[in-house]
Amino acid sequence: MASITLKGLTKSFAAGDDAPAAVSALDLDIKDNEFVTLLGPSGCGKTTTLRMIAGYIVPDAGTIHVGNRLISSPGSVMPPDQRGMGMVFQNYAVWPHKTVYENVVFGLKIRKTPSKEARKKVDETLALVNLTGFEARYPNELSGGQQQRVALARSLVVEPEILLLDEPLSNLDAKLREQMRVELKRLQRRTGITFVYVTHDQAEALALSDHIAVIHGGKLQQYGTPFEVYSRPANRLVADFMGLVNLVPGKVLDVRDGAGKVEASDLKLDLALPSGFAAGDKVEVAIRPENIRLDKPQGNGVALAKISDRTFLGNVSEYYATLSSGQVLRVQTHPLQMFAVGDTVAVEIDAAQCSVFRGAHSDQG
Amino acid sequence: MTAELVVQSVPKILRRRSRLRLEHFVMGGAILSLIVLVVLPLLSLLLGSVKGEGGLSFQHFEEVLSGRLYVQALKNSLVLGAWTGLFSLIIGLALAWAVSRTDVPGKVLIQVTASLSYLSPPFLTAIAFVYLFSPNAGLINVVLRDVLGLSFLTFNVFSMPGLVLVTVLHTFPFVYLLASSALLSVDASYEEAAQILGASKLRTAFSITAPLVAPAILSGTLLSFVNAIALFGSQAIIGLPGRIVTLPTRIYALFDYPPEYGLASALSLVFVLITVVALYLQRAFLARRSFVTLAGKGARPQLMSLGPARWVVFGIAVVAFIVAIILPYATLIAVSFSKSWGLDFWKGLTLANYKFILFDYNVTQRAIVNSLGLAIAAASVAVLLGAVIGWIDVRSRIPGRKLLDYAALIPLGLPGIVVAVALIQFWLAWAPVLYATLAILLLAYVGRYIPLGVRAANASLRQIDPSLEESAQILGASWLQTMREITLPLIRPGLFAGWLLVFVPVIQELSASILLFSSSSITLAVAIYNLYETGYIEPVAALAIINMLIIGAAIFVATKLGGGAITSRSNTQGLGS
Repeated sequence: MASITLKGLTKSFAAGDDAPAAVSALDLDIKDNEFVTLLGPSGCGKTTTLRMIAGYIVPDAGTIHVGNRLISSPGSVMPPDQRGMGMVFQNYAVWPHKTVYENVVFGLKIRKTPSKEARKKVDETLALVNLTGFEARYPNELSGGQQQRVALARSLVVEPEILLLDEPLSNLDAKLREQMRVELKRLQRRTGITFVYVTHDQAEALALSDHIAVIHGGKLQQYGTPFEVYSRPANRLVADFMGLVNLVPGKVLDVRDGAGKVEASDLKLDLALPSGFAAGDKVEVAIRPENIRLDKPQGNGVALAKISDRTFLGNVSEYYATLSSGQVLRVQTHPLQMFAVGDTVAVEIDAAQCSVFRGAHSDQG
Repeated sequence: MTAELVVQSVPKILRRRSRLRLEHFVMGGAILSLIVLVVLPLLSLLLGSVKGEGGLSFQHFEEVLSGRLYVQALKNSLVLGAWTGLFSLIIGLALAWAVSRTDVPGKVLIQVTASLSYLSPPFLTAIAFVYLFSPNAGLINVVLRDVLGLSFLTFNVFSMPGLVLVTVLHTFPFVYLLASSALLSVDASYEEAAQILGASKLRTAFSITAPLVAPAILSGTLLSFVNAIALFGSQAIIGLPGRIVTLPTRIYALFDYPPEYGLASALSLVFVLITVVALYLQRAFLARRSFVTLAGKGARPQLMSLGPARWVVFGIAVVAFIVAIILPYATLIAVSFSKSWGLDFWKGLTLANYKFILFDYNVTQRAIVNSLGLAIAAASVAVLLGAVIGWIDVRSRIPGRKLLDYAALIPLGLPGIVVAVALIQFWLAWAPVLYATLAILLLAYVGRYIPLGVRAANASLRQIDPSLEESAQILGASWLQTMREITLPLIRPGLFAGWLLVFVPVIQELSASILLFSSSSITLAVAIYNLYETGYIEPVAALAIINMLIIGAAIFVATKLGGGAITSRSNTQGLGS
């Protein structure tokens, strides 16, 4: 049983330049064997949350359970060395004065594993992370990616039920990051360890996670599967953080059984509306660039627009299309679909994929 | 064919390149000065040690290594160095750990204690402790024995423990500074990684933190050792009455009439060998410091909560502050204002001692003026020479520039008294007129402290991107213009700190001056020592206070003018007076 339950977790720090971000009343249910990502911009409190789970930071209020075991509550906080978790640090923290073997075997020595068995376990774990043959090397003889894998092996060899990872890929170059991403995911499936992973990279979170907890300003904004968080963002903060999005201000014209007509700029859209909206409400419509299609002006779109800028990105072409109201839409299309700057195009929107939020200056609460 | 063409088309430039230019003269001058200041005196020391009655001989070395007097001095020096190193390690490390890793209150107090202990002239501390703990007249001993009747608690300062105590007060800051900076810069995640794997705090401290900071701590301990054995002042003031003769005091005795130059040279070289070996080990340890990485954001180690025990640690810090700072300073101040030092000193407070040394006694007047002049001159010359040598090392491509850099660091391995022996050997042979003049003192000071000037310049130059100078040159600036407009203004703060780093030890220099002074070229430290030797207890204290005031004023002026953190810059230098 290695589920993790956070209840009302709160921590505030004295103000200061390098003070960690505060966390307020955070509730989170992490199930056994899951890969869960804490996602948010830097300073949102995600690392603080992770360090409270690890025990490096003592919460001001709230509780942490692992399974049914209470490991942290006000007045009784279990120190990190008794929590039996593993952790991989952003800078790897591979001890520079120990060889690869000595680094990995450290946790087993603490657990007083007989040396023969320890040797076997280290060998197996090093094989798991593709580092067989590197036992006698010192960290300064290893590349960043290899150090990263030593850090992983060091955490995995003690077979923790929970592995905490603090932006472990952020110091690697793009290609290596992608490769390690695949390895991490595979590792998690194979070992069945609960992974709690902190990152500010939404693409990484989408690719790796079973569930994503989007954190902003020390508060949990949304907790859901990558698909839910991406396509049904709970609020404008989440929509904005999860990839590119056009936020178009508009007004509800008409509401009927959970659906409604919204006029946003020049666009008239039939959208699914959450309950509580009424005609006349000011809203913002979140439209992702890939859910907009451009067509020749005589095609069947919801509005006409003029191409004001284009960028060829290889796998997609990106256009800035200006509606007659002046609203600019960012659009991503298949690279072979070519328009020139100045062309007039028809804009077509996949309304089913749009989200509606209360407008920034809504007069209703 | 093409080569000819090139030569014909650009002859002017080629000719201009090969001509001697101003920078060549400046560089040549600096190299020459370094040879005269350091290399030649050292060579004549070598020569002097092997010059027998009929040509080359090792008779001096034989005598130095077998004679009872010399072997005893060698042994005493090593014992003193070892104990001092050990206690510097214990005190320095404990205080460093408290400041960098715990929630002990009053951290500023500990930092102040370390900085002031480091800056206080050790021979003045020694004198102050004699006033308190000399077996018969020491004030605290008198109180314990005659007033309280607790004679078993009295402490005889004229002993090895006394000598170690007084020396440690000056040397523990070496360990403290290196250890606290190492402890602060260990990335916290190294320790956190061990903790999450189940290692207790103690286990983490021993298997992770200790190996990471050990090189810095060992290096600080060796610096303490090297500095401890080089201090002539405290070893003469405390060692000699206690019949503990050490290498510096033995070498000093060899200059009693008739002077034994050969023996002094040989003993000096043995002394240098010990120092050099220790400094070599120190550098080797420090080179392994690559383990300690600079901490990134949020990677500061978490402070350990000591609970009520933090008041115990605080108490230890207060005791250290009292013993290292309050006792010596308060004693010297009290003595300087008293008519006669003793149990009832407070009954007759007076300014007469200050009047005597400042207005009535021409020897002390002369000493103050001499020392001020010498310190200003030595600091300026050392920094200017240092700037040129540093520039040659960092910027030029002259072959052998590394050798120059090493030559400039040699004096770090030379105890002050050895510098004096070498200078006497060299200048007596080549220009005896210099003997016992202010000039030879200046040569000694510049030679001794040139490494500080070079290091200050070197460190500043390395922080300046060469492209800043190159962009001035591409605009047509000459070397002199580039130096004046770009380089010197940029390294000025560093040079200023370097100037102060030389000024402070020179104003209190005793180890070399004691062999080189004459009645006309007497210096402050020598005057204090001589007055002390002749028993002028109260004026000595007044002069000591004047000495400390000058040091304090220099530091104050320097920090005001933008020199900045002097004590942190000086943490790895081997000063000693």
